[in-house]
Amino acid sequence: MLTCNKSGDRMVVDAPNSNGPFQPVALMHFRDVAPAEQEKLFIQKLRQCCVLFDFLSDPLSDLKWKEVKRAALSEMVEYITHNRNVITEPIYPEVVHMFAVNMFRTLPPSSNPTGAEFDPEEDEPTLEAAWPHLQLVYEFFLRFLESPDFQPNIAKKYIDQKFVMQLLDLFDSEDPRERDFLKTTLHRIYGKFLGLRAYIRKQINNIFYRFIYETEHHNGIAELLEILGSIINGFALPLKEEHKIFLLKVLLPLHKVKSLSVYHPQLAYCVVQFLEKDSTLTEPVVMALLKYWPKTHSPKEVMFLNELEEILDVIEPSEFVKVQEPLFRQLAKCVAERALYYWNNEYIMSLISDNAAKILPIMFPALYRNSKTHWNKTIHGLIYNALKLFMEMNQKLFDDCTQQFRAEKNKEKAKSKEREEAWIKIENLAKSNPQFFMYVDSSDLNSPVAMETDVPLIEDVLRLKKTVEEGAIQLQHEQRKERPMVRRKSELPQDIYTTKALESHRRAENMLTTHDGL
Amino acid sequence: MDAFKLMKELRVNYEQEAHYLPKETGLNLIESTTEDDNRISAKCRDAKVEDLWSLTSFFGYSTQTFVLAVNLLDRFLAMIRIQPKHLSCVSVSCLHMAAKVTEEECNLAPADDLIRIGQCRFTVSDLCRMEKIVAEKLDFKSKAITALTFLHLYHQITLSHSTDRKEKLSLEKLEAQLKACLCRISFSKAKPSVLALSLLRQEIEGIQSEDMLEIAYHIQRHLKITDGELLLWSERVARCLSDYASPECSKPNHKKLQWIVSRRTAQNLHSYRVVPDEDSCEDMMSSGEESLSSSLGSDAEGPFFPLHLRRQKQRQPLHA
Repeated sequence: MLTCNKSGDRMVVDAPNSNGPFQPVALMHFRDVAPAEQEKLFIQKLRQCCVLFDFLSDPLSDLKWKEVKRAALSEMVEYITHNRNVITEPIYPEVVHMFAVNMFRTLPPSSNPTGAEFDPEEDEPTLEAAWPHLQLVYEFFLRFLESPDFQPNIAKKYIDQKFVMQLLDLFDSEDPRERDFLKTTLHRIYGKFLGLRAYIRKQINNIFYRFIYETEHHNGIAELLEILGSIINGFALPLKEEHKIFLLKVLLPLHKVKSLSVYHPQLAYCVVQFLEKDSTLTEPVVMALLKYWPKTHSPKEVMFLNELEEILDVIEPSEFVKVQEPLFRQLAKCVAERALYYWNNEYIMSLISDNAAKILPIMFPALYRNSKTHWNKTIHGLIYNALKLFMEMNQKLFDDCTQQFRAEKNKEKAKSKEREEAWIKIENLAKSNPQFFMYVDSSDLNSPVAMETDVPLIEDVLRLKKTVEEGAIQLQHEQRKERPMVRRKSELPQDIYTTKALESHRRAENMLTTHDGL
Repeated sequence: MDAFKLMKELRVNYEQEAHYLPKETGLNLIESTTEDDNRISAKCRDAKVEDLWSLTSFFGYSTQTFVLAVNLLDRFLAMIRIQPKHLSCVSVSCLHMAAKVTEEECNLAPADDLIRIGQCRFTVSDLCRMEKIVAEKLDFKSKAITALTFLHLYHQITLSHSTDRKEKLSLEKLEAQLKACLCRISFSKAKPSVLALSLLRQEIEGIQSEDMLEIAYHIQRHLKITDGELLLWSERVARCLSDYASPECSKPNHKKLQWIVSRRTAQNLHSYRVVPDEDSCEDMMSSGEESLSSSLGSDAEGPFFPLHLRRQKQRQPLHA
């Protein structure tokens, strides 16, 4: 160990503290050492940095030595960035070891161990306390990997499957800065170590499977997807079966997980990348998306709409035709701003106008039904735009749809009128029965209002309102009459067995003796 | 209503219709105007009438309202020269006036809704003023006799004579066709009775009913409409309707419309769409078959792979 006791900005050795085998000496700077000696110094510094410090339970401990380590790491980063031929063969195992020692640790438990899971949107992430050191270790390792002197053939002895596995485990860290570094690190490793690629993909697959089907909890999905995005981008054509399966069995089911919003942009990117590579996958993708489509009009729906629009932006017209009907039937249910905004997308509109005869009749009722009145002014305006574009496409088609819509509406009206008349008939028949007044509860409303449409028509709502009001008035009239305030007891069962059973039933408490007379 | 009464009413209307015709010279002037900033051209007017149809449809107004609105508009335009920038205000006023005459009170859309949906640049008070001006210029003759009036009468007459063909002659279809014709200014020059009869005949010829044709002829003679006049307009109607009925879908024009979304939606949109592309230098690690795009930046601050979509190919929209 070289010691130095020069004054100035060097740290001087104090008495050794309780930190085990650590020899708290500040090593020389690289620049102060002859080139021949630099390798040895390098290894020493690396080994020195294998000592871990406690930042969590005792943040103020060993401040000097923490600074020593930090300075050493920083210096090494500079060293390999600005010097060539300093990464020699003995260095490799030391670097990897240093990284492993610092990084591969059990992650702290989730910040909400008892309550809800860590919600990446709401909760503040628990940041890594040892970040000042970890950051530099990551930084250093990255420079190491990216150095022009770096030789994968040598490194592969040390950067092996086990290493990768442990690296992947770290992706569950709550600290986004760490995940960011991990992402870049893994990306570089994937790029340089061809032999590890299949293994990496397989392990990522497994992480996803566990996430989707078992835990639904993992903090690093977005980062992993980001890496995958650039991996997918580099896929050669024709796509291997393995990749297609990945799309269908992993990427698509990721849409149904609750925490979708955390990683949705990355996921959408991956999906679209796939489609750009192989457009025959469009149909299964779109159908899966429709299958996982959120059932309520939630913010989640907006994500799906975003993704869908991106898919449509790159869709081949021939594929479009295959999926247009179910797709627009789903869209017709979304009278949401985001869905209506689709009509502003010129490419989508050109696709629609090429297939207008099939699509417009699906969209029309949804739009037209809401056109007259919609409580939301923005949506109201957008509906108008959509209808106007529609009309410009083909006036006759528009008129035909209008006529059909009106015809159906009239049919519905006629039907509900028939139903009402039928009920009234029944009621009249009942009234003519002399026993009527014995059984009827006089606070009944006049007639049930049947609402078959999924969106109640204005007329239905008004009618219902009227009926309720009438019923309420009637009730008031009733209450003015004298009515004895009798609490209605439940009727006793007539069945003999039940009655016997009730009588012979004893409560458990009567039979058990209580403890201590309590 | 029995046939005799109907015919009588027909006659009465026929005698009155001239009062509600827009001045032919005025219409000619519009038709001959080329695109100009100072004068209304036919194209201008036609586009505006189509807008009126959109609004009619959207607010659930009847065809009657629409036809009346167009009538008011044409009469006004034929009389008064206005600048194109006022056309929007004039046309919406006509629609509002027509709606007040035709529609029930409860179905009337409030003026500010009309203005907002129509994406108009003028205010409610502008609208009221314009309505007064139009009403004044047209001598307050708001309840006009239009081609629709005749169409209804013809329809009733035809049905009263041949009840077994009730379903075949669809009034709704005739109304839609009339509306299509009215979107072209040239048809405003036709006498409403003649225009309606042309439409009727066209439709009857389509369903090939001999006895209905007979009735149409009977009407023609009753009103003393000349063959020449009828033929002229029938031809024009036929041409217009064949355009209307073509299955071709034209690409809609996006630029005329404003797409207003709420701020939250706009934010959502921007995060996905607006960020410009970054060029990623493709680092081809091609010793295997698969390469990795090295768009992940080399230091922590560098641009990572684009979170938005890279539009690599410009899609060519297919031509209809």
